[in-house]
This record gives sequence, structure tokens and C-alpha cells, in this order.
Amino acid sequence: MNHIGLRRNLMLLLGPGSVFLLLVFLAPLLFVLVESLQAPDRVVTLARYRDVLVDEQFRAVYFRTLKVALIVTPIAVLLAYPSAYYVSRVSGRRRSVLMSLVILPLMTSPVARTYAWIVILGRNGIVNTTMQVLRIVPEPMRFMYTEGAIILGLLQLFLPIMVLTLVSAMENVPDDVEEAALSLGSNRLGSFVRVIVPLSFDGLILGVTLVFTGCITAYVTPAILGGSRVLTLSTLMRQEALVLMNWETATVIAVVMVLTTLVLHNGLRALRPREA
Amino acid sequence: MRRSPFLVLVFALVLVFLIGPFLIILISSVSGDTGMGFPPDGFSLRWYAKVFDIDMFRTTFAISLQAGLAATATALALGIPVAYVVNRYRFPGKNAIEVFFAMPAIVPGLVIGFSLLRFFVYVMRMPVMLGLYLGHTAILFPYTVRVVSASLKNFDVAVEEAAVSLGSSRLHAFFSIVFPNIRSGVAAAFVLAFITSFNNVPISLFLTGPGVATLPIQMLIYMEYYFDPTISALSSIIIVLTVLVVQTAERLLGITRYL
Repeated sequence: MNHIGLRRNLMLLLGPGSVFLLLVFLAPLLFVLVESLQAPDRVVTLARYRDVLVDEQFRAVYFRTLKVALIVTPIAVLLAYPSAYYVSRVSGRRRSVLMSLVILPLMTSPVARTYAWIVILGRNGIVNTTMQVLRIVPEPMRFMYTEGAIILGLLQLFLPIMVLTLVSAMENVPDDVEEAALSLGSNRLGSFVRVIVPLSFDGLILGVTLVFTGCITAYVTPAILGGSRVLTLSTLMRQEALVLMNWETATVIAVVMVLTTLVLHNGLRALRPREA
Repeated sequence: MRRSPFLVLVFALVLVFLIGPFLIILISSVSGDTGMGFPPDGFSLRWYAKVFDIDMFRTTFAISLQAGLAATATALALGIPVAYVVNRYRFPGKNAIEVFFAMPAIVPGLVIGFSLLRFFVYVMRMPVMLGLYLGHTAILFPYTVRVVSASLKNFDVAVEEAAVSLGSSRLHAFFSIVFPNIRSGVAAAFVLAFITSFNNVPISLFLTGPGVATLPIQMLIYMEYYFDPTISALSSIIIVLTVLVVQTAERLLGITRYL
């Protein structure tokens, strides 16, 4: 195909999508970004950022959000590695069934999924009822609206993503590589740590990126399980925007959230080994 | 492969953790009492009856369906040509183009929803329903590009080139040769995108106005005011439908390949 033909084809094929994204996605985002840099006197200023960043409540919420992500991600990795290894070594119909069970939390309405934890963790929920019956505690304990509840909910959401990413990474590891390690005298744990983990490292980094940034931006889970008592970055942003009507603050939080995820995204990707 | 008992145990625990909560919702939805105690007292289907009695659930369900179907169809129409370019063309700057089209999947949904509310609804006075449709289309777009290009990857370029070299136009070759071969990928993209839209909260949260809200948002609102098993019943209905759709789509189209 000649050069002009290529150019025309690209314009025709990419044009509608590009125009759509520019108008519907980029323009509103830029508007919000510009708005966050303006003060009533219309000069470019970082005053709004300063106001938000020095705020005690904002700082507490920001670091809580990071902390929750820092707890959820390693637990997800530890549970997902053996699970993904198991699934990747099963084949055919059985595997299809296992995969569709694993992805159920991803596919189901987040409201329905998170609602289940109210029934489990609530004042008269399963955990409290069980503890009363066994006389472990005299009074019902409060599990709802705690960081622990948010962590459990996020783990249920992001464990499947980690498993999926690792399964597709392990598919590229041929069975014989492991057989070779075993026949050369490595035990199964040794071959897992020295062969499977390094060969699926790319998938691990991708999974960690998705889960970590996902934890920071997740909304429904902290909204239902943390409520207004235990805010995260996203529930704080929603509160400022829709309850308190502090557009300026919400805008700054939105920009901070995007910057945080972008930094994490690129930082974690840099950990991936250079492609040969 | 020999499976160690340790692996089986860990995987079984993971499945209990992932699936158990759904079974608990199903049990609590047939509770006989009004409280949310567990295990429930007695058996009754009255919470299911209540779901269908509440008008807001019906109207918001209809809005979710309309917005979801329209946004999915639009995202596919925009996404298929992009997926085609990603697979078939090589040109300078292609990486940047791919990143550009993946962006709505990287920017947090909450931020997208917020910016649409600010810019479209407040500044440009756009009707909320239109904003909802456009916002959903934007987040589904990268999804359709990814799934369709994964299925294009499995289709042999040589077949298409043969048609073109025998005198077919590119456009004709696409519709008569390529499209029939990636139909199941397009169908998978449709199912995955629609589910994504139907479940979406972060975008819909901000694009809510008088008479306009999606079903998940209405459920969140209901939960703020009432504490009874109605949401258990509604959630159970949604869970069962989701399982049916996902199982059918997995069997017919193998959707887990595209996740």
C-alpha cells in the first residue's frame, strides 16, 4: 500500500474514535485540570492544592488509602500464586468451570458483591452471631465501617484479577521447563520459586499494578464497608463533590488521584525486566 | 501433573472466600424476618415480591439497560476499526495511539464521572441521560478495542490478503471475510462491555439527575435509608442472571480468554 493510501485509511479508521475521545473524555478532564489551577482572580495558582494538601483530614485519608492498598496487594499475591499455579495446570472443561468461578466477583454487580459483607460482618451478622453462640465475646463487635472490612472487600474484588493475570503469565511457561527442574533434582517448592516465579514475573508486576492502583481508586467497596466513618480517597472525593458541594476540593482530589495512579503505573512498569 | 495437597487446600480456601459471600446473600434473601440477622428466621419470598413492587427499581433497571445497550453498541462501532488498525498496520507513533485509546481504562472512573458532570452537565447544560450514555461509551471503548483485537490476532491475515489480491476492496474484504471470522470475539466484547456498563458505579454516580439513575445507584440509595433483605433479594436476582450470562457466554464464546 502506498503512503497516501495508508494515511487515508488510518484517518478513516481512527478518526471517529479519536474525535470521540477528544470531545467526551479529554476535554472534560482538561477542563477539570484547568479549573483546579484557577483562583477566583483567574490567575494560575497552586493555592487550591496547598489548601488540600496541608489539610489534616485529607492527609489521614490519603495515607489510609495507600496503607489499605499496601495490605491488600501482598495478600492477593500470596493467595493468587498457588491458585493460579493450580488453575494453569488444569485443562479443558474443568478449567473453564474453575475460571468462571474465580471471575464471578469481577462479573457481579459491585453493589451485590459488597452487600454480602454487611450480612457477614454486620452487628447481627454471621461472624457476630457465631461468636455470641460460642460465647467468645459478650457483646457484638463492630466490624462494619472499619479498615479491616474495606480490606476484606477489596481482597475479594482484586484476588480474581491477580489470579487471571498470573494464569495467563503461567500459560507461557511450558510444562517441560518444570519437569526439567524436577528431574535435575530440584524439589517442587524449589522449582516453583526458581522456575515458575521468575518466568511469570512480568505477569506478577502487571497484576500488582492493576491491584494496587485499583485499590486506590475503588469506590463501591469503601463506600459500603467504610461509609463516612472510614473514608478513602474516592469516598472523600465523592463526599466533597456531591454532599458538601466543595467543587474545588473535589477537583484537587481528582487530580491527586490521577497523578498517584499514573506515578504508580509507570513506576511499577519500570520494574519489569527489559525485553530481550 | 501431581497436585500437592497444599495447592488444593489454598485454592479451595480462595474459592470459599470468593464465592461464599454470594451463597450467603442467596440464603439471606429468603429470610422470614425483617432483620438482617443470620441465620434468618423462617422462609419467605416476600422480599422478592417487594423488589418488583418498588417502582424505582423497575425504572432504573430500564435506564441501565438502555444506557448499557446504546453505549455498548457505540463503543463497538468505534472500537472495531481501532482494533483493526492496531492489528494490521505498522506506522510511526503506533504505540502512542494505543496508549491514547487505552486511556479511559487508566484514568479512575470516579474522575471521569466527575469531569463529565462538571463540563457537560454544569457548563454545557447537557441532559444527564446523554452524559450518562457518553460516559459509559467512553469507559467501554478501550474494552472493545482490547477484546476485538485479541480475536483479530487469531485470524490469519493471509486469508484477507488473498481476497484483496483477488480484487476485493478492503472494506468488502472486511465485511465478507474478516468479520464473520471474528464474530465470536465481537460477541464476547459485547457481553463483557454490557456487563461492565450494567455494573458501573463511578460514572453513573455523578450522572444522576431528576428521574435519571442506574440500578446500582438506586440500590446504593435504597441501602442508605432501609435495612431489610430487599437488597438481598434484588442482589440474588442479579447474581443468578450474571452467572447464567457468564456461563453461557463462556461456553459459547470462551469469554475468560479475553479478560
